Amino acid sequence: MLSYVIFTLTLCAIYGLLGLSLNLIWGGAGLVNLGLAGFFAVGAYASALATGAGAPVLIGWGAALVVGAGVGLLVTFATLRLRDDYLAIVTLGFAEVIRLVALNERWLTKGSDGISGIRAPLKAELGTQNFALFYLGVVTLVLLVVWALLRRLDLSPYGRALKAIREDQQLAAFAGKPVLRFKLQAFALSAAIAALAGALYAHFQSYISPDHFQPLITIYIFLAVTAGGVGRPSGAVLGAYAVVIFLEATRFMTEWVPGLQPVQLAAMREMLIGLALILVLHLKPQGILPETIPKAPAPPSAA
Amino acid sequence: MTQLLQALLNGVMTGALIAVPAIGFSAIFAVLRYPNFAIAAYATIGAFAAWWANAQLGLPIVASLFVAFAVTGVVGVAAEETALKRLRGNGALIVAIASIALNLVLENIVRFIFGNEMRGYDLPIARDLRFGELRIGPQQLQSLLLSVIIMAAMFLFLRYTRFGKAMRAVADNPDLARLKGIDPARIAIVTIFLGAGLTGVGGVLIGLDTSIDPLTGYRVLLSVFAAAVLGGLGSIPGAVVGALMLGIAEELALLAVPATYRTAVGFVAILLMLTFRPRGILGERAA
Amino acid sequence: MTPFSIDRRRLLAGSAALAGISALPSRARAQAGPIRIGTLTPLTGSGGPYGPVMVKAVKAVVDEVNAAGGVLGRKVELISEDDQTNPEAGVRAARKLIDVDKVSAILGTWASSVTTAVAPLCWESKTFLATVSGADAITQLPHQGYLIRTQPNTTLQGKKFGEFCIAEKAKRVFFLSPQTPFAKSQFDNITAAVKAAGGETGSLIYDDKKPSYRTEIDEALRFKPDAIIFGGYTPDTAVMLKDVYRAGFSGLKVAFGYSVNQKLIESVPAEVVDKTFTIAPSPAEGSKAYERLVKLIGVASPDPYTTQIYDQINLVLMAIAFADDSSGAAIKDAVRKVSQAQGGVKVDNAIDGLKAIAAKQPVDYDGASGPCDFDAIGDIIDSKFRYEQVQGSKLVLVKIA
Repeated sequence: MLSYVIFTLTLCAIYGLLGLSLNLIWGGAGLVNLGLAGFFAVGAYASALATGAGAPVLIGWGAALVVGAGVGLLVTFATLRLRDDYLAIVTLGFAEVIRLVALNERWLTKGSDGISGIRAPLKAELGTQNFALFYLGVVTLVLLVVWALLRRLDLSPYGRALKAIREDQQLAAFAGKPVLRFKLQAFALSAAIAALAGALYAHFQSYISPDHFQPLITIYIFLAVTAGGVGRPSGAVLGAYAVVIFLEATRFMTEWVPGLQPVQLAAMREMLIGLALILVLHLKPQGILPETIPKAPAPPSAA
Repeated sequence: MTQLLQALLNGVMTGALIAVPAIGFSAIFAVLRYPNFAIAAYATIGAFAAWWANAQLGLPIVASLFVAFAVTGVVGVAAEETALKRLRGNGALIVAIASIALNLVLENIVRFIFGNEMRGYDLPIARDLRFGELRIGPQQLQSLLLSVIIMAAMFLFLRYTRFGKAMRAVADNPDLARLKGIDPARIAIVTIFLGAGLTGVGGVLIGLDTSIDPLTGYRVLLSVFAAAVLGGLGSIPGAVVGALMLGIAEELALLAVPATYRTAVGFVAILLMLTFRPRGILGERAA
Repeated sequence: MTPFSIDRRRLLAGSAALAGISALPSRARAQAGPIRIGTLTPLTGSGGPYGPVMVKAVKAVVDEVNAAGGVLGRKVELISEDDQTNPEAGVRAARKLIDVDKVSAILGTWASSVTTAVAPLCWESKTFLATVSGADAITQLPHQGYLIRTQPNTTLQGKKFGEFCIAEKAKRVFFLSPQTPFAKSQFDNITAAVKAAGGETGSLIYDDKKPSYRTEIDEALRFKPDAIIFGGYTPDTAVMLKDVYRAGFSGLKVAFGYSVNQKLIESVPAEVVDKTFTIAPSPAEGSKAYERLVKLIGVASPDPYTTQIYDQINLVLMAIAFADDSSGAAIKDAVRKVSQAQGGVKVDNAIDGLKAIAAKQPVDYDGASGPCDFDAIGDIIDSKFRYEQVQGSKLVLVKIA
């Protein structure tokens, strides 16, 4: 039981990072990235390949950050001129392209076999049980650090400028904000965080494959961020924890329904997940922790 | 040369399959201004409704198409009214995300009732007609014809009927339309009925060529999006042109690119197109 | 004090409470309690057509065994989870089966990616894993014996496809498959068999979500094949078969038993699939296990995954009885003693096997999917194959060889 709780909390923290990534780009700059699973995959593969070639795990995570940011920049450049609704669909396609590359470029990614035996840091030294605790500590720490950074960013003039862009791009540009640069930076940072989450996942599970990165996980993260409150890092993290715990709880809920076939129970589980998202959107459109826009500091009085 | 021509023909035939659901998607987008992900489930529901009419009740396939249209239209309106309508005030993206959740719910309702097993229509299959070295599928030709007819009908409906004009007025500016005495809520219901219904009809055509199971619509979702974006979101003729272009691009690319990358080809085509024409081939004028 | 730490504490408390609730129904792992067995099959996602009937077969066996008094006097309890055809979700489900339900064995993982993701959890927690996945790499994982696979590997299977085509006088053989972990090795093995008889092969890997494959078929037909081998699963194979029919191909069509199954045959027009041959692992002629399974679950032609999971549950229950211990480690050590004991009594179901074990007789199980004898890394040693042909919308047995 304990190891199940530790496992679930580790996953919560990884989802939390994905939630922060989405919140930055969606809640911060107002860009919809339906390609989250793609960036998650990029980070996982980058770190798995780097450490597979002999690099230490920390270098692998660094590689994930760098490659993630790079791919993020690439996607932003390719989609700069697109309106929101076009962007949503194109990023969805991006994730599918990443999955296809992972599936078909066997020389690089081992194709649909996936990469197994990814190094789990200190697992041999600590043993399975202690490793699980240790890794929970590591991912939670990473989550805390990223959360603290993004919260500072959120409250800083930079964060306010991002939100100004989200609310009215033309006005922000008129006010002298370098809209393009801000968008590029935000997207790259967001992609890097998602990629880091992927790297943490890869070394946690020791195995990744193209099947891991289906669009379902992107849906879960959207559920997390909307439930927690778009535009607020704490909300995204809270939402991620709530979603993972809810996903797991549905297993136990459906166990109490008698007289149904297993496939019907499985269908009910997925229905519950969809219904939960719709309900949250209706009842709490701002999420559990609504965004609070801090006031700009008062201009120095002309005394 | 024959290879090239045949690939072109194949592209048109593949595109024709995607065109009808793309029309449905674009119709909803044109009036309600949000990308509706639940069209995957609508296509699946249409395929199942027609299967029920055709294989269970013994209706001919043409009658089954109408059943699919009606059933999916009603399901679409019910889903929109209960799950999405109240969210429209919160912006297109929130509605789009809710429609992803709605799709998950509808797909699993289908799975709950029918299970995962494949089903098929009670309909014979025809061999391709041959013209020299080229071959054309008669049923694919019918699909193409059907999508052109639907496109023309939608186009005429929007252009010349009072209701169609009202729809376009709401699409352009809901507030102004309301001032003119048009009820946007009623227009929205009719649009959803038409859009979901047509997507359901598209689902039947796809089910004819593939299989009928809870994922029938989901498998082609990306292609439908790609077609609609390529043609210009919200444009009905654009949806058809986009679908045909996408089909042709994918089949032609097969001559050079490995077949496993077909979906990727579609997206590269979109990116190229959008770089030069950010609103698609037949995109609407700037808002 | 940041808001985050408050949230986290509240959440920790919440999840602990959740854990408490869920722990209630799962009694302690006393050897006196029920024996818990988990299935982890695809019930949603692209593997969805296969999972539900697999669970049904396991449930039928468990019910039957429970009605006959259980195993070691204990009831067998079945817990079925959905892997959503996705290794990320599969791992979560497996953790719950292992840590919360404390199952002795997990049966039926289908997608190779799910099996590879779940396998380390199993060997680390000493839980037994029986899979139907096809990737050759799976049995090469460092699983310490905690894994067996009832699906023949590609060396065993690919060769049969190639030899069958040659035997049917097809010299030019084309392999059409989506990108699976075994597509390449399957093709290599087909090629080896065909080339050895002086034939030629070609292949094309396609995208399995497309509604039409006209240009793919054109490319395949330019090879002028005498035979086409279909390497996909039911949904994409249905599309392929229709397009192959439209293109007027009239040569030999061969497919895996799991793709051209009864459901596919019923869902496509008869002429599309007529005369298609299927190949599936099988027990030797005269074995009653297959007919027994047909009766037990009421499905006329159960597909290979169903026959395999039927064998897995029978083997696991017998291994538990043999070891007089329901732990995963005990199953690991005992499974080969009930699947292939030298000179053992031939049994084809758990009930007979349990009786024989109770009478201290050695047991050699021959199942519905084959003789079920395993080598050291968990692969089946040899298997016969059922060659069937679609004739008038029914699968008709041609031969077992």
